[in-house]
Amino acid sequence: MLALLASAQEVEKPSPTQPPAPPRSELASSQTKPKADSKKLSGAELYSMHCNRCHPERYPTERTAAQWKTILLHMRVRANLPAGQSRTILKYLQDNSGR
Amino acid sequence: MKTPSFALGCAALCCALVLALPGRTAAAVDDQQFNDLKELVTKLGQKMDKQDQRIEQLEKTHGQDTEVHAQDQKIHEQDQQKIQDLERKLGETQRTVAEVQQTAAAATPAEPLPRVPLEEATVNHNFSILGDAEFQYAKTTGQNGTFLMADFAPIFLYRGGDKVLFEAGFDFILQNNAPTSSGRTTTVNLSFAQLDYLINDYVTLAAGNLLLPLGTYSERTAGWLNKIPDDPLPRALLPGSGVGAELRGAAPLGESGKMLNYSVWGVNGPSSADGSGNAAALDLGGNVGLRSDNAVANLHGQPSGGARVGWFMPFKPHYDVELGLSGQSGEWDDAGQHLWSAAVADASVHLGSSFEVKGEYIHSQYGTDDLGEIRPNGWWVQAGYKVAGLNLDWPLINNLELMNRFDSMHDGLGTWTRRYTVGYIYYLSNTLLFEGDYEFFRSNDPTQKNRLVFQLSYGF
Repeated sequence: MLALLASAQEVEKPSPTQPPAPPRSELASSQTKPKADSKKLSGAELYSMHCNRCHPERYPTERTAAQWKTILLHMRVRANLPAGQSRTILKYLQDNSGR
Repeated sequence: MKTPSFALGCAALCCALVLALPGRTAAAVDDQQFNDLKELVTKLGQKMDKQDQRIEQLEKTHGQDTEVHAQDQKIHEQDQQKIQDLERKLGETQRTVAEVQQTAAAATPAEPLPRVPLEEATVNHNFSILGDAEFQYAKTTGQNGTFLMADFAPIFLYRGGDKVLFEAGFDFILQNNAPTSSGRTTTVNLSFAQLDYLINDYVTLAAGNLLLPLGTYSERTAGWLNKIPDDPLPRALLPGSGVGAELRGAAPLGESGKMLNYSVWGVNGPSSADGSGNAAALDLGGNVGLRSDNAVANLHGQPSGGARVGWFMPFKPHYDVELGLSGQSGEWDDAGQHLWSAAVADASVHLGSSFEVKGEYIHSQYGTDDLGEIRPNGWWVQAGYKVAGLNLDWPLINNLELMNRFDSMHDGLGTWTRRYTVGYIYYLSNTLLFEGDYEFFRSNDPTQKNRLVFQLSYGF
C-alpha cells in the first residue's frame, strides 16, 4: 500500500480541466508543498482534504455565510470532523462566501 | 461691658481712698506720693476714655454689619424669586414642547424605523435545505427496459445558535405498483431525523433516528454521493438507521489534518417481524419502539449497543487513508433469547484528485429458533478514476470518471451473489451527474440477472 501511495504521488499531474475545480489558487499551491506535517494547514487545504473525500467540492460562493455555518455544523457531526479544523474550514468558506 | 465696669471700679477706688484718708494722714503723704497717685488717676481716666471710644467704634461697626446683612438678605430673597420665576417658565416651555410633539405625531403618519442590514454571519439561527434527486432508467436481462425510479431526497437543517442542529432527511420515491395492482405508488421514508448538541470540541450528543456508522456507507456515501446508482450488496446485511442516542466526536493528531474519530451509540436495534425467533423474521429496520397497534413498548428486552473508531491520515490534500472498525450487538427477538451482531471494517484511499478506492468487509451473525446460528457476510470494493488525471487535451473527456465495483454477499442461509459493475460518471457540473453502469451477476439466486442502469443525479 505504501509503495502504491508513493508511486501515485509521483505520477500525479495537475489537470486544468478537472471537474470539481473549486478552491483554485490556494489548492493549486497546496499540492506542490512537500510536507503537510511541517505546518498548520489552511482552511482551503482542510476543505479540500476533508470534503472531497465524500463528494465533489462546492464553490464557497454557492452559499451564504450563515448557510455555511449551518452546513459545517452538519458536516462536523456527519463526517466526525475535529472542531478546530471545522472552524478553520468554516472561516475559509465564509470569507469566500456568496454574501 | 467688662471694660467700663473696670474703669468705674478704678474711679470709685480712688474716690474712696481720698475720702477715707484722714487729714492727719493726708498731711503724712508727701508731694511725691500725691503726684504719683494723681498721675495714676490721670492714666486710668485716659484709659477709660480710650475704652469708651473703642466701644463706640464697635457699636458703630456692628450697626453697619447689621445693615449690610439686611441688604444681603434682601438680595437673596430677590434671587430666590427669580429662580422660582425661571423654573416656572421652564416647566411651561417643556409642556409646550410636549404638546407640539404630540400634535405633530398625531398629524403625521407613522413611519417605520429604517431597516438596519444584518450581518448574515452573525444571525444566530438558520434554516437550510440540502439534498439530492435521482432519476433512473434500467434494463434487466429478459425484461423490458423501464424508467425505474424518481427519487427526491431533501435534507432539512435547522441550526439554533452555535451548538444545536436539527437535521432530517427524507426519501420521496415514485415506483410502480406490484403486478397485481394498477397505477403507481409514491413512498415517503424518513431516512434520519436527529437532534445534535455540541457538548464540547470533542463530544457531540445526537439523538433521534440516527444513521448508524456501521462502516461509513450510510453516513457518507449513500444517495448521490455514491458513484454507482445502487448500494453494495452486503449493505443489505446491516440496518441503515436506528432510533436511539449517540455520542461522537473527533480528536486531531497534530496540525496536519490527522485525526481519530469515534461514535458510541445505543439504539433499539433489529427486531422480529412476527415476534418469533425464526430466521425469516429478522427485521433489521424494525423496532422503533412504537408499534402499529399504538402500544409503546420495546419489542425486545434490551437495546443494541454499537461503536466505531476511525483513523484518518492525510499526506496532503487529496492524498489520504482512512481506516475504521465498527460493530453493534443486541437482542432481536421478542423473547430476548437471541442476539444480532455485526462487525464492519472499512477503508478508503485517495491518491490525488483523480483516483479513489474504498470498501468494506461486513460480518454479521444472529441466533434463531429454527436454524441455529446464522452468519451472513460480504464485502465490496469500489474504485474510480477521473480521466482528467491523464491530462488529455480532448474536449468533454476530462469530465468523465470511470467506475468499477466488486461486491459479494452470502446471506448465511445458502444464497450467495457476486456482482461486478463497470460504469462511468459524466460531470455535467460539479453537482449534476449522468451515470451509466452495467452489472454482471453470478449467483445461485435465479432472480439476480445482469442489468443496465442509467441515472441522472443532482446534489444541492
